[in-house]
Amino acid sequence: MQRSRLRRILHGAWPRLLAIGILVGIWQLLVVIGVSTPGGLPLPGPGDTLAEMGYLIHIGVLLPALAQTLERAAIGYALALGVGTLVGLAVVRVPVLRAGVGSLLAGLQSLPSVVWVPIAVLFLSFGGQVENAMYFVVIMGAFPSIAMGVMSAYDNIPPLTFNLARSMGARGPHFYRHFVFSAALPGYVAGMKQAWAFSWRSLMAAELIIGSVASSGLGPILDDGRNLLDVPEMFAAVVTILIVGVAVNDLIFAPMERGLLRRRGLAPA
Amino acid sequence: MNLALAPRPSLVTLEADEAFVTLDGVTKVFGHGKSVMTALESVTLDMSKGEFVCILGASGCGKSTLLSLVAGLDNPTSGTIEIADGRPAVMFQEPALLPWLTVRRNVELPMRIHKLDAAQRNLTTNRLLSMVGLMDFADHRPHQLSGGMRQRCALARALAQDSELLLMDEPFAALDAITRDQLHDDLNRIWQETGKTIIFVTHNVREAVRLGDRVVLMTPRPGRIAQIWDVEITRPRELDSFEVSGLASEITARLRAGGAPSDATQ
Repeated sequence: MQRSRLRRILHGAWPRLLAIGILVGIWQLLVVIGVSTPGGLPLPGPGDTLAEMGYLIHIGVLLPALAQTLERAAIGYALALGVGTLVGLAVVRVPVLRAGVGSLLAGLQSLPSVVWVPIAVLFLSFGGQVENAMYFVVIMGAFPSIAMGVMSAYDNIPPLTFNLARSMGARGPHFYRHFVFSAALPGYVAGMKQAWAFSWRSLMAAELIIGSVASSGLGPILDDGRNLLDVPEMFAAVVTILIVGVAVNDLIFAPMERGLLRRRGLAPA
Repeated sequence: MNLALAPRPSLVTLEADEAFVTLDGVTKVFGHGKSVMTALESVTLDMSKGEFVCILGASGCGKSTLLSLVAGLDNPTSGTIEIADGRPAVMFQEPALLPWLTVRRNVELPMRIHKLDAAQRNLTTNRLLSMVGLMDFADHRPHQLSGGMRQRCALARALAQDSELLLMDEPFAALDAITRDQLHDDLNRIWQETGKTIIFVTHNVREAVRLGDRVVLMTPRPGRIAQIWDVEITRPRELDSFEVSGLASEITARLRAGGAPSDATQ
């Protein structure tokens, strides 16, 4: 029982392990070839990077920075979720908004959120406080995905569901509670998942540009590495950022989405 | 609100001259200008309480339009529809079960919407589930059921709505012949147990003859009533019995003839 379960997990994980293996292999190959900066700084290998991560943890830099960045990500994402949901509901409920705001949202989504950084700093950092500016950048990066998730989730509810609700005499709160919210949930979660990717990207852009001025985080570590020509530190930061992005998706959003679809018979059990 | 499912002596309370559903000159026109299409033209029909009426016709004859008008999902262009008892329950061609709810919760849903308390809900849900033979599947989700079971669940949910009038829009059209035959038996039994008034739309002549007290034949473009038959074959009826086949071929002949309303309405 125990063993077969372990085997199943390994069985499911091996394509991913293979992919990581290939990536690390190519990386190591570049190191062996002797890739370096024009100034002669060598490319650090996977081993060097891992060692640097261990060192940064040991001297108490990496984990506090990670915690700081995750806190920003959580707050920024929560705000984006709120704003995106409200905007999405407004667009769905008010026909006049739909045509105009719908295309505007698509435009906003394709706008790289890093462009908001200078503006946010100018308007929102009071007395050297840059947190507000970073939240703003995250919100601008992530809320269009949430709002568009709400819109497409609502639009994809089958007309039959509305007829059913009407024939049962479900109106007002009953209609929303028993029919709309549940029917729209998978589309909403898909939007949440996409918004996470956008908010993580936006936060990294904001941290890299603003963060070095006043505070700590993964972005500032990367910036610090550049300033001190400490290439392994830069790689340690990049790998950490990658791991967090993948882990949040794999441990939170992917299982949420899979569970939801499986209960509805829309994904393999 | 009374619970719908107490078996009632339907044949005793049935008063032939008291109309339960009245359709008077019901006309429905879709579209505007050049693309105007008359789906229904002055359909007039009375139904008494507890009656099982089958609306029969080829696709495009307006029978589903008629049903959605009676269901209140759309309004007639002219004419009136009167129902003696509130909002009818509807069963669609697709089961339209909510995929995120279990069978039990799907059946319970109309009672939740109408704010029945939990004890009453449980009692009724259990009775309905055993009536349609889904007690063992109460905690399954719709995607784990066969097509026939899904329609049984949809039937139980429609019955849970506590409406005297049940509208069925080709509910068995997508099922295989064997499953459909079983569901005909079940529906016949449930109708006799509950005394519901049923309007059943179908394009299957034998199905109409097997189930209905009356068969209303409609012809298309514009949709109107061509002829009405009283079916006086004793129940339960067999799909391939001599009487059912006989009347079915008579109706089929009339269906082939098509065209204008006949004077030979029985």
